Amino acid sequence: MLFIVLLTAPLGAAVASLFVRKSTAVLEWLTLLASAVYLTAASGITYAVVVRGTSGEGADFSADALVAILIMIIAVVGSAAAWYSTGYLREEVRKQIIGFSRIKQYYILFNLFLMVMFLAVITTSPIIMWIAIEGTTLSTAFLISFYNKPSAMEAAWKYLIINSVGLLLGLFGTLLFFIPLLRSGDSNGLITWQMLLDSAGTGNPLIAKVAFLFLLTGYGTKMGLAPMHTWLPDAHSKAPVPVSSLLSGVLLNVAFFGILRFKAVTDRAVGQAFADNLLMFFGLFSVVVAAFIIFIQKNYKRLLAYSSIEHMGIMALGFGFGGAGPFAALLQMIYHALAKSVLFFSAGNILLKYSSTKTDKVRGVISALPVSGTVFLIGFVVIAGIPPSGIFLTEVSIFSAGILSSPVVAVAALFAVVLVAVGFLRIVASLLFGKKPDSLPGGEAGLRTIIPMIAVLSILICFGFFIPGPLRSLIRAAAGGR
Amino acid sequence: MAGQYFEYQFFIEMLILTSSIFMHLVRKNSSIVVLYMVQSFLVVLLLVLSSIHRLSAALLAVIVLTFLVKVVIAPVFFFGLIKKNRLKFSVSTYLNVPVTLVVLTALVAVAHSHFFTSFTAIITRGPDTLFLCIASILISFFLIINRKGALSQMIGVLSLENSIVAFASMAGLEQTPGLQLGIVFDILVWTVIAVVFVSMIYRQYGSLDVTAMRHLKE
Repeated sequence: MLFIVLLTAPLGAAVASLFVRKSTAVLEWLTLLASAVYLTAASGITYAVVVRGTSGEGADFSADALVAILIMIIAVVGSAAAWYSTGYLREEVRKQIIGFSRIKQYYILFNLFLMVMFLAVITTSPIIMWIAIEGTTLSTAFLISFYNKPSAMEAAWKYLIINSVGLLLGLFGTLLFFIPLLRSGDSNGLITWQMLLDSAGTGNPLIAKVAFLFLLTGYGTKMGLAPMHTWLPDAHSKAPVPVSSLLSGVLLNVAFFGILRFKAVTDRAVGQAFADNLLMFFGLFSVVVAAFIIFIQKNYKRLLAYSSIEHMGIMALGFGFGGAGPFAALLQMIYHALAKSVLFFSAGNILLKYSSTKTDKVRGVISALPVSGTVFLIGFVVIAGIPPSGIFLTEVSIFSAGILSSPVVAVAALFAVVLVAVGFLRIVASLLFGKKPDSLPGGEAGLRTIIPMIAVLSILICFGFFIPGPLRSLIRAAAGGR
Repeated sequence: MAGQYFEYQFFIEMLILTSSIFMHLVRKNSSIVVLYMVQSFLVVLLLVLSSIHRLSAALLAVIVLTFLVKVVIAPVFFFGLIKKNRLKFSVSTYLNVPVTLVVLTALVAVAHSHFFTSFTAIITRGPDTLFLCIASILISFFLIINRKGALSQMIGVLSLENSIVAFASMAGLEQTPGLQLGIVFDILVWTVIAVVFVSMIYRQYGSLDVTAMRHLKE
């Protein structure tokens, strides 16, 4: 029942929003109500997984430790983004940037986006996961072109075409993985992850390798791994800020989830080395590309987008290195999702105040926006992996695992990560400090744009110093059962 | 009977590949849409053959919906778009025709290369048909890369999807009818959204040439 609730809450809010006439408050309450419901359902499912190891509903939906982590990330960041949206969009209405029809469109697509992400992770079928991930492209395309500016439209078109092509390659790879099952006649109906795993050793290893290559290219495009990342900085920087936080903090992880599921099948079919090497290659490439571009970045929303590419690369490296890497990579997934939403929310407040995303037009954020500026600074400390942040520990663990298994890759990635931190620091220092323009009045936009940010930051700081036992066991199970 | 079935499959896949190649050569937007219609109709024929071969009545619903979406609805949208915005000739490519033909030849050669030889294990009869499918996939992919027009890129994506469906049908990798309906519905939504985007791009830029989009260059 909880699985159905998880899907119907955002879907119901989207459908109900269709019938709302002229009341922004009703749209907001529908979304907030849905967020409370799916957060509860996600917690319930996670609790069941912690207690019993798995949770399921019929043959169609199931959750293991990895799924539980993912649905909690979607639910927590989704709820925070929903709360933040209410304040952010009101402020945009006040500034006459958008009107009611845009807000309505926003809430409908926002809820549909969350629903398909939940579906992608809880379904037992790889094909339904593919349909759901394609659904995320379709539901967010209009959110990226939300402001109808030429650059936003350009970003949305790029997003639509590149991701659709990537996902079609992913579909091709998925179908190739089905060959042993369909050949043996073991499947007459829905093919599940478990069936794929069980049949993994019976197929042609070369086909499994080709299939994983296509899958990694396909879902890697959605995950933002270089060199397939080109859509990501544009899309993440042009979308409304709460959507950017979901794209960066959640959607990339959902795509990575798809890769990890197929990696488990590939490991069984051809051994672990093949997928590990590919993940290391794409991971290192992503970290290096992001490092160099972050260093010359002049737009703080794009900076955050490139930082996501870097972190996806580090997570891919974590799984590629093996040992303690997967555990640390999963923990980094959680930290990154929370930290990136905090950073995007505070960046949204900066954008509302300065009306620009260009770094040379923003100065003295700490004095103009004391709360958002401070949160941005803390977010930077976490995301750059500066001690005592949690990401510092996860990155140390990942690179330690790398030194043991692939020292050259680990050292190269480590240099790139340091470069990212330096580049990030340079931009953050110029944004936050200095003198704010005299014509700019100080003060935050309102509580609605601050409370969600502080709430997520609190969770992030708590988890940075203390990982609760159930969460630790979930991560351990997810890392072990990859 | 089985031999005839494989012969028909081979012949249809040859035509699908030919349509993919011709998509690279035509210069009119309406011609590329007609080619997409023909290609989609051929894919529907493949599905019909498969349903007869497998004696599966459930596939009929998928076939009807595929026909409606790919052969009727999508082309109607595309022709409407061409007519509304008078987009008779807005097809241009990055590579000229001779170089394009060289690349197409190379892609067909790659489809028959060592990288894909393991695919012969998928079917014992007619592995050449599978190579044709792979060539069609690669050529459709190249169409998306080589074309500057947004409409052509969109048709390239749909042609890639057709080629993958043809591959799945050849290799006996068809999913349950329910899932196939889900995929076709997904394609329908994708087409609608992409057509809306193409209209918006035309309104904004007065052209469908994606090289005119330069607002993201920073």
